[in-house]
Amino acid sequence: MQENIRNFSIIAHIDHGKSTLADRILEITGAVSKREAKEQLLDNMDIERERGITIKLNQVQLQYTYKETEYYLHLIDTPGHVDFSYEVSRSLAACEGAILVVDAAQGVEAQTLANLYLAMEHDLTIIPVINKIDLPNADIEKVKKELVNELGFKEEEIILTSAKNGTGIKELVEAVIDRIPAPKGDKNKPLQGLIFDSFFDSYRGVVVTTRIMNGEVKVGDTIRFMETGATYEVTELCVMTPKEKQLQKLSCGEVGQVVASIKAIQDVRVGDTFTLDKNPASLPLPGYQPMKSMVYCGIYPIESTKFDDLRDALDKLKLNDASLVYEPETSKALGFGFRCGFLGLLHMDIIEERIEREFHIDLIATSPSVIYQVTLTDGSEIEIDAPTKLPDRQLIKEIREPYVKTSIFTPSEYIGPIMELCQNKRGEYVGMDYLDTTRVNIHYDLPLSEIIYDFFDRLKSSTKGYASFDYEIAGYRKSDLVRLDILLNGELVDAFSTIVHKDFAYSRGRAIVEKLRSIIPRQLFEVPIQASIGAKIIARENIKALRKDVLAKCYGGDITRKRKLLEKQKEGKKRMKQVGSVEIPQEAFLSVLTMDDK
Amino acid sequence: MKSMYIHIPFCNSICSYCDFCKMYYEEDLVLSYLDALKKEIDRFYQKETLKTLYIGGGTPSHLSKACLTKLFKIIDTFPLDINYEFTFECNIEDLSLSLLTFLYHHRVNRLSIGVESFLEKNLTFLNRHHTKEEVFKKIVLAKQVGFSNISIDLMYALLNETLQELEKDIDFALSLDVSHISLYSLIIEEHTKIQIEQIEPISEELDLKMYQFIEKKLEQSGYIHYEVSNYAKKGFESKHNLVYWNNDVYYGFGLGASGYIGDVRYTNTRSLNHYLKGNYRYQEEKLSKEIKMSNEMILGLRKLEGIALDDFQKKYEKRVEEVYDIKDLLDSKSLEIEKGYLRIPKDKIYVSNAILVRFV
Repeated sequence: MQENIRNFSIIAHIDHGKSTLADRILEITGAVSKREAKEQLLDNMDIERERGITIKLNQVQLQYTYKETEYYLHLIDTPGHVDFSYEVSRSLAACEGAILVVDAAQGVEAQTLANLYLAMEHDLTIIPVINKIDLPNADIEKVKKELVNELGFKEEEIILTSAKNGTGIKELVEAVIDRIPAPKGDKNKPLQGLIFDSFFDSYRGVVVTTRIMNGEVKVGDTIRFMETGATYEVTELCVMTPKEKQLQKLSCGEVGQVVASIKAIQDVRVGDTFTLDKNPASLPLPGYQPMKSMVYCGIYPIESTKFDDLRDALDKLKLNDASLVYEPETSKALGFGFRCGFLGLLHMDIIEERIEREFHIDLIATSPSVIYQVTLTDGSEIEIDAPTKLPDRQLIKEIREPYVKTSIFTPSEYIGPIMELCQNKRGEYVGMDYLDTTRVNIHYDLPLSEIIYDFFDRLKSSTKGYASFDYEIAGYRKSDLVRLDILLNGELVDAFSTIVHKDFAYSRGRAIVEKLRSIIPRQLFEVPIQASIGAKIIARENIKALRKDVLAKCYGGDITRKRKLLEKQKEGKKRMKQVGSVEIPQEAFLSVLTMDDK
Repeated sequence: MKSMYIHIPFCNSICSYCDFCKMYYEEDLVLSYLDALKKEIDRFYQKETLKTLYIGGGTPSHLSKACLTKLFKIIDTFPLDINYEFTFECNIEDLSLSLLTFLYHHRVNRLSIGVESFLEKNLTFLNRHHTKEEVFKKIVLAKQVGFSNISIDLMYALLNETLQELEKDIDFALSLDVSHISLYSLIIEEHTKIQIEQIEPISEELDLKMYQFIEKKLEQSGYIHYEVSNYAKKGFESKHNLVYWNNDVYYGFGLGASGYIGDVRYTNTRSLNHYLKGNYRYQEEKLSKEIKMSNEMILGLRKLEGIALDDFQKKYEKRVEEVYDIKDLLDSKSLEIEKGYLRIPKDKIYVSNAILVRFV
């Protein structure tokens, strides 16, 4: 029954205890016993556990009897990082309410606000929760005040929990039923299913995770994806409890998974609507956005024979990550690979790590780039998403780069360091708003290319993690940009090329050659590393030749040990990419991304 | 014809850098050990004539008269080739007229003496207990007894060692006028005292300079550089060690010893208990043709002379170039071919691992 359904998610700043809270809710509703409750059950990918962040959306159906009525609670998990705000927005669109978790010791933080705003945009009912009240340094009163004074909640709305020892969980679950409205929508209208996630199962093809907004879908129905127009016959419907439970139909208000032998992964896009082929809805649900990649980089397999495996891996990842885009490209240094577009740097990191871990392909990633607009001297316009594609300087009349308008929220004591950071990143000061006596919102216009390096990390470290920032693309501006090339042993290594502002080129070039010198191991011969702009060398370092790499003593029994030693040495070589005559370790390519140019 | 190595794993003092199989000397234990050794030899040795025989350790020279007699009771029966080489490893402080005479009369015709250094500072660091004066005295004594083939071991790249200190050591060594000198750059091996004490190696640059200095100085003084760490006067190259580097077969007997017989490379147990009970073998590996060829390259390229290409082809019915793609190594002068020999050029020997990885 539709009125007995509650769809909700949990939103929180990173590490405020979202996943543990979810585990406790699963326990209290009997979905899992304590014994089977692996720590943080919903985060089922290794990387998620290690980074303590949730990348993939997950959903689970829970049953709970309250006031003698059986309720079906659908808990929809959301990713917690700004790079994934579209995915968050799609999963929030599948909910009527959200639990806002705030750490009792840390209080309201940047992501708390950002997520709260997102939830409010979707008109969700919010249940504020102060978690970790068992901590010795918990300051419940202060956090309560923040929730009331800064975020406008009423004190009596706030629920106190300790996910660690289970305090307040029952009250919370019952508040979900009492306060969050049952899903709206009309069972008798034509089917509209919101796709908020999908993943690939080698036996069943693409599995679509959906919230039915109107109508219903049954096994055997032919469905049509409205954005792509593809049609498929539904072979299976199920819901996770968290064990998989097969269903015959999914009705308006329900959340579940659709299996339809979908092999063409590009047919399924997060945010798209599916409907019945026979009796289609006239319009898709609002809010679908084709993804816009902000950051591009080249991804190459270390072993060139793994190119096809890499394509396969990207195809599969694309399934549950609609925001990933890629097309084949070739590098002189690295061979065949893909130019990939990402939402941001974290997104890029995660994709690379998943390819290495889940698909066992060792990768080299080139330095990330934004999209530049170039006007050539003949008046034509081109767009560049890779430094190597930048034409010769003589052919360029003008280069424009994307700028973003940033809003940086910070306690006022960090204004100084933040302004210094922004100045160093070619920022243009726009203004500052005092939110109250202690908090400010600083506005800067910054080149996106500066943000994609390490802006976020630096912002965090210079404000002890207190500042948060948000940005929107603010159009293109003319910039004095040049391509900085790196030559190894006299040969240009295209994978190291970057586009930088002319004023920064010298220091960046210096920093890159120094870093490479420290990372690239000694070779049999001396290797010069040079940074150049066009034909002009602006920095140079030498990697000295290997001096000693020999086993002084090798007699009878030593041959077995000697072999082992050489085998180990050979294994290390495998992780290196041979570029011309020089062997470059994988980290060298990554190191260019994390330059410390003060 | 075969070769044989016999390991005597007993020492009266443990050197700080040593990772060989060794333990403190205890007379009763040594006697039992020699019983077990005899049984091992009886079980495996087919009484072939030996062209080389090597008794190493440990410290074989530290054996008591009784033990020595017992050991040579086994050895005296071995048939030796007319051009045999029979080496016995010695410590300076063990060398006495009686020991030297004993060895001389029991067919030992080559001494390998652990000198390591002449400088007190180095000897202390290595935990060796002789003096420079003793070295001179004992070498003269050995020559007087009749040994004309004497090899000494020296070590360099020691703790904070300077080039000047090394030069002194080399000068002393040359003045001994021995037929063979092994010069080892210190390797900090695991489970040794110096590794546990986290001794820092000297810089790669200085290490190479020392190596180059040694090579130049010894060649000027009439020694031939014939293996990474070995120098000999003409005709005094170690026949036994060349068996190893030529990838030829040999028996290895005793605790922790290794051998290569037929297609099998084996290593003996390092547990004295197992060994005394007759459980000699710890590991045996039957080698494929690929591994044999690979060993041939890894070992053979330690020799300055290199690998005789014809011999390789005869042995494996394939040419080196068919088995390994070495064109780029030849192009970059990391390998060279001259008069039928494939070798690592002199200036690349000290980075040979970087080249040898291509053959594993």
